[in-house]
Amino acid sequence: MKKKYSGIEKKLSRWGWYFVTPSLIFFMLFSFYPIINAAYISLFRKKILSLKAPDFLGLGNYKYLLSSSDFWNSMRATFVFTLGTFIPLVIVSLLLAVLIMGRNKGKKFLQLAYYSPAVLSSVVAAVIWMMIFDPRGIANQWLNFLVNTPGVDHLWLAKSFMVQFSTMLVYFWKYIGYFVVIFIAGLASIPHSLYEAAKIDGAVPRQIFWRITLPLLKPTVLLVSIMAMLQCLKTFGTQYLFVQAGSPQAPINVITLNIYNTGIRDHLLGRASAMSIILFVIMLFFTWLQFKTSKADDVDY
Amino acid sequence: MKKIIPILLTLIFLALPLFAAGQPEEEGSITITFWTHEDPNRTALEERYIKEFEAANPDVTIERVTNSSKKMPELLLTAFAANEGPHIFNTQIEDGYAYIANGRVAPVNLKAAGYSSTSDLKNAYVDGVLNAVTEGGDVYGLPLELTNWAPYVNKRVFRDAGLDPEKDYPKTWEDIVAVSEKMVLRKGDIITRRGFDFRFPYYLVSMVPMVEQLGGKLVSDDGKTAIINDKAWLTFLEFMADWGPNGKNLGSPTYKNGRKLFNMDNNDMGMCLSGLYQIGRIRADNKEFYDSGDWMVIPFPQFENAVEDVASAYYGHYYMVNNQKSSREQEVAWEFISYMLSHSEEYLSEVGLIQPTKALMSSETFKNIPYGDVFANDLAKGHMVYYAENSAKIQELMKEAVEGVLLSGIAPEKALASLKVKAQEVLDQQ
Amino acid sequence: MSLLQEKTENKSVFSFMWLLSTLILLAALIFTIIPLIFMFTASAMPSKDILKMPYRWVPRGFHWQNYFKAIAGNDGNYMFFRNIINSVIVACSVTVSTVLLAGITGYGLAKFRFRGRNIVFLAIMATMMIPFEAIMIPLYLVATNLHLQNSYGGLIFPFLVNAFGVFMMRQFLITFPDEFLDATRIDGAGEIRIFFNIVLPNIKPAIATLAILTFRTQWDNLIWPLLIAQSEKMKTVPLYIVKFAAEKYTDEGAMMAVAFLASIPMLILFFSMSNYFVSGASVYSSRKG
Repeated sequence: MKKKYSGIEKKLSRWGWYFVTPSLIFFMLFSFYPIINAAYISLFRKKILSLKAPDFLGLGNYKYLLSSSDFWNSMRATFVFTLGTFIPLVIVSLLLAVLIMGRNKGKKFLQLAYYSPAVLSSVVAAVIWMMIFDPRGIANQWLNFLVNTPGVDHLWLAKSFMVQFSTMLVYFWKYIGYFVVIFIAGLASIPHSLYEAAKIDGAVPRQIFWRITLPLLKPTVLLVSIMAMLQCLKTFGTQYLFVQAGSPQAPINVITLNIYNTGIRDHLLGRASAMSIILFVIMLFFTWLQFKTSKADDVDY
Repeated sequence: MKKIIPILLTLIFLALPLFAAGQPEEEGSITITFWTHEDPNRTALEERYIKEFEAANPDVTIERVTNSSKKMPELLLTAFAANEGPHIFNTQIEDGYAYIANGRVAPVNLKAAGYSSTSDLKNAYVDGVLNAVTEGGDVYGLPLELTNWAPYVNKRVFRDAGLDPEKDYPKTWEDIVAVSEKMVLRKGDIITRRGFDFRFPYYLVSMVPMVEQLGGKLVSDDGKTAIINDKAWLTFLEFMADWGPNGKNLGSPTYKNGRKLFNMDNNDMGMCLSGLYQIGRIRADNKEFYDSGDWMVIPFPQFENAVEDVASAYYGHYYMVNNQKSSREQEVAWEFISYMLSHSEEYLSEVGLIQPTKALMSSETFKNIPYGDVFANDLAKGHMVYYAENSAKIQELMKEAVEGVLLSGIAPEKALASLKVKAQEVLDQQ
Repeated sequence: MSLLQEKTENKSVFSFMWLLSTLILLAALIFTIIPLIFMFTASAMPSKDILKMPYRWVPRGFHWQNYFKAIAGNDGNYMFFRNIINSVIVACSVTVSTVLLAGITGYGLAKFRFRGRNIVFLAIMATMMIPFEAIMIPLYLVATNLHLQNSYGGLIFPFLVNAFGVFMMRQFLITFPDEFLDATRIDGAGEIRIFFNIVLPNIKPAIATLAILTFRTQWDNLIWPLLIAQSEKMKTVPLYIVKFAAEKYTDEGAMMAVAFLASIPMLILFFSMSNYFVSGASVYSSRKG
């Protein structure tokens, strides 16, 4: 009896490997190799156009970075952006998804509307946002109308605080639909029968949400919060665009922007790779932390 | 069942070559790849040259690839880093230097380009314009375009502000402030009509000359010391601080750049800084405005107490050839480049690009270009933009300093001190 | 009497909540949809009007020239159609392969215990933790060694599956009832048949979501196609749009028109898929209750 059981286990574990192998082969070629390559290059004084064999620096690039105020400013900018963006993203997208699912009418329309930023080409969205944030644009007009301060230029793209806030706003706009859609899929996967049973037991909507919806949605919440966190730590396009449009760089010089400037603009590929590896370790740590604290894998009905 | 996965995998890998582009190489025939930035008018012109060149050289095919000018530097770097660069490409002056310094581009093939010697080649061009691509006596690139910038004036806005454009046009930076103050319209603090727009992202081309007028320098002649003459720099930074929202509030880099607005003549832009090519764009964007003659070009302003007459630095693009290609391909590449450049007058009249050969500058075509003389006079007063492997980094530091005083209200002394330290650090790292 | 009172009280609380939720949904709606309206109205205006500030939300007439120019392109060679077909081919292939590969891998990670499972999962997650800028050059080397430049292969292969897809499928499959799988195993079904006939049909919301998100990411993918697809015939829609946005020559009206045309396939896809989002999972309801 025991032997047979372990036979099935063995067979299933083999199938587990079969199922993950195709993806693993793919990742080896298109992801693991480039990452290992970046880690290797981070040990050299590699210039992007140089054909000469680069000098070996050991941890020299890392030492330089850890003592560079510019790098620490980037760490600050990245963490401020991440905290200011990913928490509202997770909470608001969950809220919107729950509200949408509670509607009888207009579900489809609302989903589509929230998802519409994703339908818009990023290049064009950038142009539009720059027109909105132009001192003569609607950002100033509307804010001045709301707080009744006619004629004030709030310097959306210029003041250190405002420019950080504006990047968060654009990012929030761009990704809120993503996470709403994922949450809706998660909510739709929860069996209706559970709700009906709860209603028969006399539970009010609030109780249903906290006792049934949220626990069953745990894997989705973990998915969204890890994805939102990683995306925010990796943010690049929004900041790049703002700097191109004339914003001061220091307040929003996130690590990825620094990597781009160091590697592509200043040609210091080795140092840029070292920065990527540091960012990699940071992301790995926070992902691990989220898995550890959520224990989302133990789901019970 | 188990067998399905290995079979599927094998199929996928067998299918790989099917998707890959087959490039059958014919004996003797060669394909030259040519990367350049997007410019619709130039495309029409150069596609024609390609056809003509291919007709004259039946064994040569030229593949012209265009990409947005913002993305081009990045694409080129990636391709060169992977040793897969194109045969021919063009870069901005400042970006080109690194390709020469790292030995990634080939010197001009004099025979293919139709010159008897290097000095013959240098003599054909206006003095100094090949400096940026000359290294160790060899020339590594030929200009696709080289221009300086000068203020474009909208006469209608001048008149609307009660000014006479013919008499009141600004000669000095102080004049620029004075006429701007008259032209500026605001709603509260928000400017709805600007008098003048600096060309903000291009600090090296448009603002370093302002410092030089006052006797300052970006980098010393020996290339070892950054930010020469504190007094000049301070005067310049104070001028910029005064320009911004914390001073006279005449404009800032966060407003949409003026060149495009200028063409539209929406009564929101009095003057903007641009090159000769802007003329063609006014014609394309707004025929009525172009024909009305209500616009003009004036010389680059000087400071009242300028110690030196300096006009805007040269902005430009050079054609270069990848030296990782076979010598025959390099030769054909240079032949093709010089075939294109033999149409300088057409480049000027059709697209507004100056390829500064002595022949072109003294040609009838150039004399007939409206305001060509304004640009030519300024050209003699300017020099090549600062080019080095670190010029992009230096430009960013300058942006930080100028925007610091202009937008964030940082004291000019403080901004200068920080600029000096950081720029010196960049120079020392070389 | 008291029962009735309670009912009305309940109702007023309910309608207050209803009002609040309506307000929240409406505020979010305005915020998300403004740029879309901007795009559409601007696509009907000449550039001169678009750049006029303050922006006028109602175009004077419909400036059809923008759309003609959008389709003809900067070079007047009508590459738009070719480019949009390329984009459809690439985005569809990537979507199908991502759903299948991410599905099967996520299933393997969620429902099978095997030695090294956590390492595999972590390794796959790790691929999301490096910025694209840092791996662009080695990736380009891989692609050029496989001679993938200017081919559909070059546009498709690097995106056959992604860590997000695997992660998402794993998260959705973790709650998939084990007893249900064991029951079908006892009935003698093979593992592959279980995956295709039992698992996939029961996670339609997840599949539809992953498909939409993947399609969208590909539809808007810019940097990689820019590198790998140099010839006009192999370019995709974002590259076509970027040509209109080239700094010095921007024709804003035509750019907005291209962007609007380019968003139509996404809208169609979204509408045709959105039924699946809320269709629920039959397997659960048949099981517990």
